[in-house]
Amino acid sequence: MKTTLPVLVAFLSGLILVVSFFFDDKNWLGLLGQELKIWLTIVGGFTLLLGVVSITKVNWVAVKRKKEGWKYKVLTLIAIFTMAIPSVLSPDWSSYFGRNDGSVYDWLFQYLMSPMMATMFATLAFYIASAAYRAFRARSAEATLLLITATFVMLWRVPMGEWILNLVPWIDIPYFLETYIMGGINMAVQRGIIIGAALGAASMSLRIILGIERTYMGKG
Amino acid sequence: MSIWQKMESMDRRWIYLMVAITVIIPFLFPMSLPISISPHAQAVYDTIDELPDGSTVMLVFDYYPSTIAECEPMAIAALHQFFSKDIKVVTLSNIPLGGPSMAETITRMMAEKYNKVYGVDYVNLGYKANYVAVMSGMGQAISDIFPTDNSGTLLSELPLMQQTPNYDSISFLFEVADNATADYWVSIVNAQFGVPMVCGTTAVGAPKYYAFVASGQFKGLLGGMKGAAEYEILVGHKDAAVKGMSAQSLVHLLIIFLVLLGNLSFFIGRRKSKGVA
Repeated sequence: MKTTLPVLVAFLSGLILVVSFFFDDKNWLGLLGQELKIWLTIVGGFTLLLGVVSITKVNWVAVKRKKEGWKYKVLTLIAIFTMAIPSVLSPDWSSYFGRNDGSVYDWLFQYLMSPMMATMFATLAFYIASAAYRAFRARSAEATLLLITATFVMLWRVPMGEWILNLVPWIDIPYFLETYIMGGINMAVQRGIIIGAALGAASMSLRIILGIERTYMGKG
Repeated sequence: MSIWQKMESMDRRWIYLMVAITVIIPFLFPMSLPISISPHAQAVYDTIDELPDGSTVMLVFDYYPSTIAECEPMAIAALHQFFSKDIKVVTLSNIPLGGPSMAETITRMMAEKYNKVYGVDYVNLGYKANYVAVMSGMGQAISDIFPTDNSGTLLSELPLMQQTPNYDSISFLFEVADNATADYWVSIVNAQFGVPMVCGTTAVGAPKYYAFVASGQFKGLLGGMKGAAEYEILVGHKDAAVKGMSAQSLVHLLIIFLVLLGNLSFFIGRRKSKGVA
């Protein structure tokens, strides 16, 4: 029963959504499909809640047992609840609640979380520069080709580099890069990846609907 | 140890220092660089320019705060173009981590500049989990998926949403994304519901979307800060992206210089060590 019921739910849900795609929205099957999509958004909301419960549980256990780095886990827990609790309380009770301008959530997001995330991402520039210096070597023909192409594309994607490329009088390098590298070779490869990924997703969905793929239940 | 071998084992903190100086200098001494307009950015501008005044568009904030530098200028420039043409804007986000807050802050800021009224000229739907179901479900009825807006007001109480029951009333979609949600907007909303769309994305994400531009599914494409800068110039509001181009130009040149230097020191160092052996 523990296996049959989830497989049956997955089969029926998948079947209804696939079949309803081919029917008019006003048809009962179309309406049923729409109802399932609404359920999906609700289930999605609960998965977010599950994430909060899970992260709280994992960190709380680590704090209780005073595992290595437990002080950071205390901070994680404080951060989660300081942001979450005021954001879900009604703004009718206080202007600090909810997610509107001036709320605790908004203030924490604008002045702490957003700059911290941007800073974390910005530090990539330092690591990329260091990694490029150490690892980007023309050791083989393929690596050399990649290195030359990357150098030209990097130059082309910034005004100063484009100006340098335009100094070459006998060939329009920016046009060549746009048309043949990005719009030619790159696009052909990307199309292959997109089509391959879509076929993979379709076959995986079919396996789940038919109950062949059961790893989502924690089983092989 | 020769100078080339020393160069090869250079302390990475010198590289960090070089990057820091290269980023800071253009902000202290701004440079005015000529920025050429790519055909893809021009297509984004032209597509929006051709929309009739009073039409309703969807602007999607599908990016995390980490990519604000690249994505936010695109969203701001898009709002300049929409509001200056009296186009009505419905915003939403598929990013739980701050997406609706960024949509709210930016749209309100721009609406104040153009004297736009919430509920009449623009609405922020906020966030709902499970983006495939969200995109697909809005095709039948937006209010099925978003019964209320981001602040909890019923959509039936907002004049703009009374006129916009589903995608049939949406003339155009502008997706600003730093992740793969653009794939789903194109395969669900563009392909199945026929809503014309463009995409603004990070420089890393842009190469993937050339395929959708070539197929005509994307009317145009903005790639990274350069794409944002081009679009800012087209809408006539040079802002953060144009300013950022100087720093990005210098850092790109620095990285190219470092790659060349790294290769030079690697090959000369290796030849010398072989000679010694």
